[in-house]
Amino acid sequence: MSITALTKKILHAALFYEIWDAMKVTFRHMLHRPMTFQYPREHRTIPDAHRGALGLLRYDDGRERCVGCDLCEVACPSHCIKVISAEDATRPLQRYASEFYIDITKCVFCGYCVEACPVNALAMTKMYEYSTHDKRSLLFDKNRLYDIGERHLDDGKKYLYAHNQEKNLEESREYRYYFPQSVAKATQTPPKHLS
Amino acid sequence: MAFEDQRTTVYKVNPEHPESETLPTLRTEELLLNMGPQHPSTHGVLKVILELEGERLVKSTPVMGYLHRGVEKLAEDGTYHQFIPHTDRLDYVCAMYNNFAYCRAVEKLLNLQVPERAEYLRTIVAEVQRIIGHQFWLSAQALDIGAMTVFFYCFRDREILLDWFDELCGARLTTSWYRIGGVERDLTPTLIDKLKQFLDYFPPKIDEYQVFLEKNRIWLGRTKGVAVISAEDAVSFGLSGPVLRGSGVDYDLRKYEPYSAYPKCEFSVPVGKNGDTYDRYWIRVMELYESVKIIRQCLEQMQDGPIMADAPSVTLPPKERVFTNLEAMIQQFKLFSQGFDAPPGEIYCGTEAHKGELGFHIVSTGGGKPYRLKIRAPSFIHMGAFDHMARGYMISDACTIFGTYDIVMGECDR
Amino acid sequence: MGLKPATNPDVEATSIELSIDGKTVTAKDGVSLYDVISMTGKIIPAMCYHYTFDPFGSCGMCLVMQEGKKAPVRSCTAKAAAGMVIRTEGEDLFLARKKAVEKHLSVHPLDCPVCDADGHCELQDMAFQHGVTNLANAKQKFIPEDTRSPVLDFNMNRCIACAECINVCKDVLMIDALQFMKKGGFNQVVPKGDLPLNCEFCGDCLAVCPVGAITNKFSKYLYKPWQMKKTTTTCNYCGDGCQMYLETKDEEVVRVTSPLSWKNKWGDRSDTAKGHGGLCVRGRFGFESLDSQSRLVNPLVRESGRLVEKPWLEAMNGLVDRFVAIKEKYGPDAIAGLVTARCTNEELYLFQKLMRTAFGTNQLDSSARYGHMNFVLASKHAIGLGRASNDWEDLTKAKAIIVIGSNITETNPLTAVRIKEAVRVYRAQVVTFDSAITNMSKLASHPLLIKPGTEGAVIDGLVKAAIDLDVVDEAAVGQHPQAFAALKKAVASLSMEQLTAQTGLSSEVFGEIARLFAESPRSIILCAEGIVRRTNGYQNVLKLMDLAWITGKLGRPGCGVSTVTEEPNEQGAVDMGAASEFLPGQGRYGDPEVRDRFAKAWGTVLPSPSSGAHLVEILKRCRTGEIKALYILGENPLATLPASMEVRAGLERLELLAVQDPFLTDTAKLAHFVLPACTYAEKDGTFTNFEGRVLRVRQAMDPRGESLPDWHIMTALANAMGCQWDYQSANDIQSEIMKLLPGYYNLGQPRKTAATLDTYLSKGYATKVGERYQSTPEIHTPTRPFALLMGQLLMHSGKLSVQAPGLITIAPNTAKLRMNTRDLEHLGLHESAKVRLTSDRGSLQIAVQADQSVAPGTCFFPEHFNEPPVKDLMTVTVDPTTGVPSFKQMWVNVEPV
Repeated sequence: MSITALTKKILHAALFYEIWDAMKVTFRHMLHRPMTFQYPREHRTIPDAHRGALGLLRYDDGRERCVGCDLCEVACPSHCIKVISAEDATRPLQRYASEFYIDITKCVFCGYCVEACPVNALAMTKMYEYSTHDKRSLLFDKNRLYDIGERHLDDGKKYLYAHNQEKNLEESREYRYYFPQSVAKATQTPPKHLS
Repeated sequence: MAFEDQRTTVYKVNPEHPESETLPTLRTEELLLNMGPQHPSTHGVLKVILELEGERLVKSTPVMGYLHRGVEKLAEDGTYHQFIPHTDRLDYVCAMYNNFAYCRAVEKLLNLQVPERAEYLRTIVAEVQRIIGHQFWLSAQALDIGAMTVFFYCFRDREILLDWFDELCGARLTTSWYRIGGVERDLTPTLIDKLKQFLDYFPPKIDEYQVFLEKNRIWLGRTKGVAVISAEDAVSFGLSGPVLRGSGVDYDLRKYEPYSAYPKCEFSVPVGKNGDTYDRYWIRVMELYESVKIIRQCLEQMQDGPIMADAPSVTLPPKERVFTNLEAMIQQFKLFSQGFDAPPGEIYCGTEAHKGELGFHIVSTGGGKPYRLKIRAPSFIHMGAFDHMARGYMISDACTIFGTYDIVMGECDR
Repeated sequence: MGLKPATNPDVEATSIELSIDGKTVTAKDGVSLYDVISMTGKIIPAMCYHYTFDPFGSCGMCLVMQEGKKAPVRSCTAKAAAGMVIRTEGEDLFLARKKAVEKHLSVHPLDCPVCDADGHCELQDMAFQHGVTNLANAKQKFIPEDTRSPVLDFNMNRCIACAECINVCKDVLMIDALQFMKKGGFNQVVPKGDLPLNCEFCGDCLAVCPVGAITNKFSKYLYKPWQMKKTTTTCNYCGDGCQMYLETKDEEVVRVTSPLSWKNKWGDRSDTAKGHGGLCVRGRFGFESLDSQSRLVNPLVRESGRLVEKPWLEAMNGLVDRFVAIKEKYGPDAIAGLVTARCTNEELYLFQKLMRTAFGTNQLDSSARYGHMNFVLASKHAIGLGRASNDWEDLTKAKAIIVIGSNITETNPLTAVRIKEAVRVYRAQVVTFDSAITNMSKLASHPLLIKPGTEGAVIDGLVKAAIDLDVVDEAAVGQHPQAFAALKKAVASLSMEQLTAQTGLSSEVFGEIARLFAESPRSIILCAEGIVRRTNGYQNVLKLMDLAWITGKLGRPGCGVSTVTEEPNEQGAVDMGAASEFLPGQGRYGDPEVRDRFAKAWGTVLPSPSSGAHLVEILKRCRTGEIKALYILGENPLATLPASMEVRAGLERLELLAVQDPFLTDTAKLAHFVLPACTYAEKDGTFTNFEGRVLRVRQAMDPRGESLPDWHIMTALANAMGCQWDYQSANDIQSEIMKLLPGYYNLGQPRKTAATLDTYLSKGYATKVGERYQSTPEIHTPTRPFALLMGQLLMHSGKLSVQAPGLITIAPNTAKLRMNTRDLEHLGLHESAKVRLTSDRGSLQIAVQADQSVAPGTCFFPEHFNEPPVKDLMTVTVDPTTGVPSFKQMWVNVEPV
C-alpha cells in the first residue's frame, strides 16, 4: 500500500469521510420533489387492469347479464361467492341469480370469477374505498353488486378489455347464447343466425 | 470453527477464582428470552427462544407456525388452477416468483410446453420480482441494523415496480399473473416503455444504496464476520440462494438447471467467499445489476407470439370464443368446475427465487386436484440453520441473522 | 360387464374365443361385442349404452376396428363371433370417435350456463376428453321446450338422440311413455303421441339422460352439481329400501338421485336382479317434505287449551313430571305407546326398551300392525321365519309369480320392476288376482279379475284345484301324511261351484294356475295389502302356505310365500320388538328364556306377558280409561283409522297425550305435548326392508329448527324417568343391538333361513286346518251393490307424502270417488257429478271421476286423503289372532244426487 493511499485511508477514517459521502446523496434529495402525496386529498391514478371491488353488469338494454350459472362460485379459490339460482318468475324458463353474495372480507381479488364468467356479468372496478365500521355491510348482495357495476360501469368495461375478457368489437359482443323457449308461449325471439 | 473461538471469550464467574472467595457466590444461570412473535425485527410472527449467557447466544430454538394457514392442505381442496392465488400468499413480498415456481411445477407434471414469448415474459417479470425482493430485503436488513435511509430509498424505487405490476396484472402484491401454460396478460407497449425507463433509471440508484452501506463502518462492523457458515455446513443444512452462494458455493438453478428464458441470457452469478452477512449482502446487490442485465436482454430478444400454450385440455380458451363457440364453453366449464386431468405421478420442481430454491412437490393420482402438495420454502429451510449460525454471537446479532436469510413468515409457516 | 343373462339362468351359453387388442378372450356366444370388450376391463366411450337394457347404437362412439373390415364397426350392436380380431385403441379410432362427438356438438345449443346437467354431462366429458376445439359449421336447433308435464321438462335442443330414456322406459320399466318423433327436421324424444307426459313419473329417464335434455321441474335451475353434498341413504317411502342419494345444498334438499345414472353404465346385466338402481316417483320427487315449511321447529305444550311453543327444557320437564305422576298414581299399565314404522331400527329398539323399562308397560305397538303383522305371525307360525321368504333376486329369476291382493306397481314400484324384469328377461309367467285392473295385470300372462273381497276363496280354489288335479309334490306331503290328509279332508268340504261363483273365476282357471304354480321350477306367491289388510288375513296367509307346501315350494331356493311392506321399516319394527307379542329378534314375549335374556341385558324386570296390548286394544283401553297416558311417536291413528274406532274419544279421554312427530298431525293437534322430531334425512340409523336387508340411513342435513332425532328425545326421556342410558349416537344403540341380536345387521344382506315346517305340520296342524277352509257365505246385499275400496296411490305413501308439495302437484287430492266408466254410464253419471255414498256407518256426498283401473262394481278412494272423510264410512274388523284392524273394503251404495 502506497503512502498516499494509507494517508487517505487514515484521513477518511478520521474525518468519517463515508458519512459525508452519504450526506451528499441525502442533501441532493432535498432538491427533489416529494415522492409521496397526501392520500385522502390526492388520489393515485389507478390502471385499467386494477383488480378492485367486484360489480355485476347489465346489458345496454338494462337486462341483467348474470344467468346464475354458478361458475364463479366454483372458480373462486376462497369460496367467497354464493349464487342462488332460480327460474325467473317473470320470464319463464329463464335462469337468473335470485341471490348473489360476495363476502368481500373473504375475497382475494384474484379475478378468477371474471375470467370464469361465460357472459361477462362480473367485472372488477377501480373502487377500493369501502371500509366500514360494520363488518356485516361487507357481505355484498346482489343489489349492492349491481349498484357498484352501475356506478363503475366504465371501469368495469375497461377492466374487461384490459384483461382480454371482452373485445371492443361489435361482433364479439353479440352473444350467441340464448335461453330455452317454452312450448306454450314464445318468450324470446330466436337469435339472428337461427331465424 | 469460528464460534468456538468466540465461546472462549465468554465471561464466566469462576468459583475457583481466588477473588470470588471474598465475594458472595454469584448465582449463574442461563437466561431464556422469548424473542417474538411480536418483535419488529422478526419479519412477521417468528418466535425464537434464546438461551443466553450474558448477552451471548448459547442456543436458540425457532418456534414456527404462528402464521400457519394450511396452504398445502388447501391445495388438495381446489383445482390446480385455483391454487395460484394461494401461492401469492406464501412469500407475500414476491408473489410473482411463487406463481412462477408453482406453474413450472404443474407444467412439469403435465409435460406442458410454454410458448417462447411467454417464457420471455415470465423471465422479465420474475427478474423484476427479484429486484423487488432484493430491494425489500436490503431495506429491511438495513433498517434492522439501524440504517433507516436506505429503507426509504429502496422503497421509493420498489414503488415504481409495484405500480408497474398493478398496471400489468391489476395488483401490486397478490399478483396471480402466471398461469399454467403461460401468463395471463401480455405486456402492453406502455408497460414495456415504463420498464425500459426503469432500467435506465435504476442502476445509478443501486450505486446510491451502496454509498450508504459499502463504507459505513457500523454496517461493516455489524455484517462482516457475523453469522458465518462454512460451505460444507451450508450445503448440509440445505441452504440455497444468496445464503448458500455467500459461503462460496456456486449454485444457482438458473444456471444449473436452466429454465424459461434464462439459458438465452447472459448473466453471471456472484459468489461470496467468507460466508458472512456482508458477503450475502454483496451478492444480493450484485444480483440487482444482473437482473437489470437479464431484463434488458429479454426485452431485446423477445418476439411476438402467443402467451398461452395451445393445450385445450389445460389452458382456458380465449374469452371471445366462449361466447360463440360450444367447444370453448365446454372447455371453460370443465376447466373451472373440475380442472384438467393431471396424469398420475409425482414430481418435484425447484425454482431459483430470490430467497433460494423454492420447490413444489406434487403428488397426483389423476384428476383435477393434487393429492398432496408440498412446498419447499427456502425461509423454512434457512431457519433450520439459525441455531447453528447464531451460536456464540451477541443477542443484538439475532436480528441481523433473521434478516440475512430474508425470511418471510408467510412462506415459512405456510 | 353388461352381458345379457340367458332366459334361463340355469343353462350355460356356449363359449367362444376372440382376440381383443392381442389378448384372447373367452365370451358367451351371441352377446354384444361391446359387452365382451367391457368385460376385459376396457372402457370404450358409449353415450347411448346402459347395461340395464339392450344396445341401441345411435351415438357412434363405441367404434372398434375389426380385422378384415375397412371402416370401424360399432361394437355395441355387433355380435361377438368366434375368431374375431378386434382392436380398441389407436389414433384412427380416436379421430373417428372425435368425429362422432363433433357430430353431436355441431347441433348442440350454447347453453351450458343455464343447463342443469352442466358438470354432469356426458357430452361435455366426451368433448373435453377428445379435445374438440374448433367446429367448422355449427348449426343450432331452436326447438321450444316442452314444459307441459308437471314433473319433467323436455329440452330437445340438447338431445343427442341416444334413446336411453326411451329404452329404459320401455325395456326396464315397461311403461313405454316416450318415443321418437320427427319434428322440425330433427328426431326428437316426445311423450307418446306428443301429448303432455303422463306416466308413472319414476324419473328414470331423467337419471339416464346423459345431457340436459330431460330436466326435473322441482329443482330446475336451482343447482349445479358442484354445489351439492351427496348423501347415500335409504328411501323412507316404502318397504323396498331403495338406495338413493340425497343431494343437499345448505339446509335444503335440491334433488334426489340414485345409482341408476348414465355415469355408471358399465355393470353386470345379471346384477340388475338385485335392483336396477332406479327410484319411483315418491323417492325421486317426494323429497320436499324434508325441508317443508310446515315442519315443527319447537316443542309445543298445551296451555289453557292452546298449543304454545316452549323451549325443550321446559317441555321435557313438564312431560316427565306428568309421566312420573301418572305412573305413580295409576301404575305402569296406565301408560301405552305407539310408534311409526318410519323410524329407524335403532329408534324402534329404543322405543320398546323405553316402554318396557322406563315406563314398565307392554302396551306398545307399531304401524306394522296395520297389516304386516298378519304375515309375520302366520309365517312365523308356519315356517318359523317372520318375514318374506324371497328377495328381489328370487323374484327376478322366478318362473311363475302369483301376485295376489297386491297392487304392486302402486305400493312397491321397485319390487314391481323386479317382476317386470322377470317377465321381460327371464320369461316368467305372472298371475295376478285382484279386484282392480292393476298395472301389473296389464303385463301379466294370466291377469285375473276377481270379485272384491274374495281373495280367501281364490286361495281355497287354488288349494282345492292343486289337490284335485294331483299336482302336489309327493316328497313334501309324503313327510307329513297326517297333515296332508287333514288338509285334503278340509278342502273336500268346499264346493268348487260355490268358489267359482264367489270369485268370478272358472274352475279351469283354478286348475291352470295351480298347475302352473306347481310345475314351475321356481315359483313365488306375493301377497300384500289385499290379503294382510283384509279380513281373515292371518288365515289367508296360512292357506297360501298350505298351497306352497303341498306343491313343494316351501324351503326350496327361489320359491316361497312373500309379502311387501308399505312403510320402510315395518319389518324392522317387528324385528326390534315394537309389538306387544315380540321382544327384539322376534322372540316371543311370553317365552321365559327370551324374557330372562333381555331382562338381564336391560337390568330390569319386564312387565308381565298378560298385560300386553296391541293397537286396537290400546285404543280400547284409552276409551275405557284404563290407559291414562299415551306416547305416540310419529303415528297418526286419528287420521288413519275410521271413525268407528272412536279414536278421538279415546284420545280426548287421556290425561296425557304426548306426540313426537316432524309435522303437526291431526293426532298432534289433540296432544298435550308435541315434541318436534327429525326426519330420516337428519339422523343416522338403519331400515330393514321387506327382504330383511338392513340398510343404512345417513344424516344429510342438520336438524331443522329445534327438532331432535327420536332416539335423542327418547334417551333424554328415559334418563329423566330414572334410567341410565348413555347413548351418544345411533351408533351406540346399534352396538347394543349387535350384542343382543348377533348377525342381525349381516352387512346389509338378507339372512337366508331355511323354512322348517315340521313342528308346524306335526303339532296341531291337523286339528286346526279344518277351520281355515270353511266356505264363507256370500255377502250379497242388494242395497249395497258397490264395493268401496281404499288403497294406495303410486304417488303417495301413507300420510307422509301429502306433506311433499311435489307429489301433491303430481297427484293432488281430487276429492273424487273413482269409478269404472261402465258403472258411471250405468248410473247415468258424468265426470264430476255428485253422488251420495252410503254405507252401514253413514253417508256423504262426493263427486265421481272415471278411472279405468277400477273394476266394474267397485269404487275406489285413496287412503292418503281424509277430505272428504270417506274412511269414516268404513267398518273395522279385527283379526282375532293377530289384532290387525282391517278397514279397506266396504259395501256401499252409490246414488246420484
